[in-house]
Amino acid sequence: MKNRKKVKRAGGVILINLIFPIICFVTLIPIFYAVTLSLEGAGGALSSGLSFIPQEPTLENYRAILVEEPFLLWLKNSAILSVGTMIAAMGTAVTAAYAFSRYRFRARKSILRLLLILNAFPQILSMFAIFRLFRTFHLLNSYLGLIIVYAGSMCIFCIWNMKGYFDTIPVEIEEAAQIDGAGGRQILMRIVLPLARPAMIVTAVMVLIYVWNEYLFSTTFMMSESSYTLAGGLYQLQSNDYSRSWPLFSAASVLVSVPILIVFFCIQKYMVSGLTAGGVKG
Amino acid sequence: MKTKKRFLPWKYALPALALIGVIVVFPILYTGYISLTNMNMYHWNDYHLIGFENFQRALTKVDSGFLSALITTIIWTVLNMLIQVALAYFLALGLNAQGLRLARVYKTLLMFPWAMPAYVSILLWRVGMFNTEFGFLNKLLTAMGLERVNFLSRNIPAFLSCMLLNLWMAMPFMIMMMDSALRSVDRSYYESAKLDGAGFWTQNWYVTIPAIKPVLAPAVIMTAFTTFKQFDIVYLLTMQRGSLSGATLQTVITYAHQNAFVSNNYGLSSAVSIIIFLFIIVFSIFTNKGVEET
Repeated sequence: MKNRKKVKRAGGVILINLIFPIICFVTLIPIFYAVTLSLEGAGGALSSGLSFIPQEPTLENYRAILVEEPFLLWLKNSAILSVGTMIAAMGTAVTAAYAFSRYRFRARKSILRLLLILNAFPQILSMFAIFRLFRTFHLLNSYLGLIIVYAGSMCIFCIWNMKGYFDTIPVEIEEAAQIDGAGGRQILMRIVLPLARPAMIVTAVMVLIYVWNEYLFSTTFMMSESSYTLAGGLYQLQSNDYSRSWPLFSAASVLVSVPILIVFFCIQKYMVSGLTAGGVKG
Repeated sequence: MKTKKRFLPWKYALPALALIGVIVVFPILYTGYISLTNMNMYHWNDYHLIGFENFQRALTKVDSGFLSALITTIIWTVLNMLIQVALAYFLALGLNAQGLRLARVYKTLLMFPWAMPAYVSILLWRVGMFNTEFGFLNKLLTAMGLERVNFLSRNIPAFLSCMLLNLWMAMPFMIMMMDSALRSVDRSYYESAKLDGAGFWTQNWYVTIPAIKPVLAPAVIMTAFTTFKQFDIVYLLTMQRGSLSGATLQTVITYAHQNAFVSNNYGLSSAVSIIIFLFIIVFSIFTNKGVEET
């Protein structure tokens, strides 16, 4: 009886070990295909072959995207926007999150609830209003304008994320510091922030990923070629004549995705807690 | 001293609240204002208030297209969620089988679509998978001796293609949430269920599903919202500027976007935006009751 059960379970595991590699392979086909094409010499994209091994492997496409296309300029623009947004969002959100976590003041609850609703608002719906305002104030095509847009929505996310973490730090530590004569600012700078460092790093990285991956606002608001971000550049590449630029596009996709993949898998275990902390997100 | 303390939290929160007020709240209010005017391409500066005419047009005139977009969006959300939850459940069950040593490897591989930048994935699928000449799917069809298919040119195939891509992109998150929910179930429940003679399906129905429901609810609600709000997939696959694919698929969000940036009906677009926002507020108040914060 016991043996039969064991055999049945082993059979189940073997079956799963047969099915899951296939599922994983099928899932990864689009990525394999892009990587293959990015390494393929001229004409590879149009051949009817289905193989995932390039016939004449070459790094020509990578050279072309880095040298012949303004890829490095796009990279610079994306980097400026990401870092700028991170500084603006985190700089304002950390103290606010601390206030919402530690102090009980009037309107605290209603503001938190309002932030939650605002977070559920898809920013794309007010994009036209922002566009019109920015046109009036000459903020189109400027880093500053886009940074403010990103920072506004990311600030809400950061407040909820950081507040969740501050809530888990025991108040007793701060009370002890207070008895020792530390002031409000000192407590925040010397005690709370060092304790919250891991959460701050993860939140900041999520902001970076968000800006790096955003394409709609960056393609709508950055209209001159010199201010394209990576998203704008890749968008341009694929909307041109496919047959020439498709291998270039796949090489660019690989270059854009690899850093994100590395960062993602480093902070993966924090992604879930952060995402669900604030309830409704998106 | 006491007044100083009362103002302290406000001092800490002010920069953030000012930023949010200027760039998030104010544009929403401005959208509300535009929705009450006749602003469009011809009335860029000399627009005037027209009351609730735009709302009336969106909600009562069938030819405005909003109602059909709304129906499409609801079907889209429901279908995606049903498939996603069911598929993720069985995949997570498989990953949690006892004695499966390679589970971590499979999980890591399945996370890739989530980690990729969304617009890169969508553009890769558009050109690499669905394209008629050198898309992988069409190469596969030709290799099997079948006709090429233009996946994105008509509404129903385009809808299914968008759905396939959405599942590809959204499944990893769902699998991961399912997986952690399943691992939180106490093993001893299964032992006693087995002693009572429960088979595979009874165990799932009476033990596993009730046990993971509360853990999973926030994730499912959150995904339902993101699916409802999905814009990138439909937009980038079928309606990029200058290369419309032929399908006329519209969700509420693409409808609002198109009226603002393509057909320049700013008033109508803003009215639709406000309607969607009210929708979202009602839903989130409704769903947040369960997940209330202390």
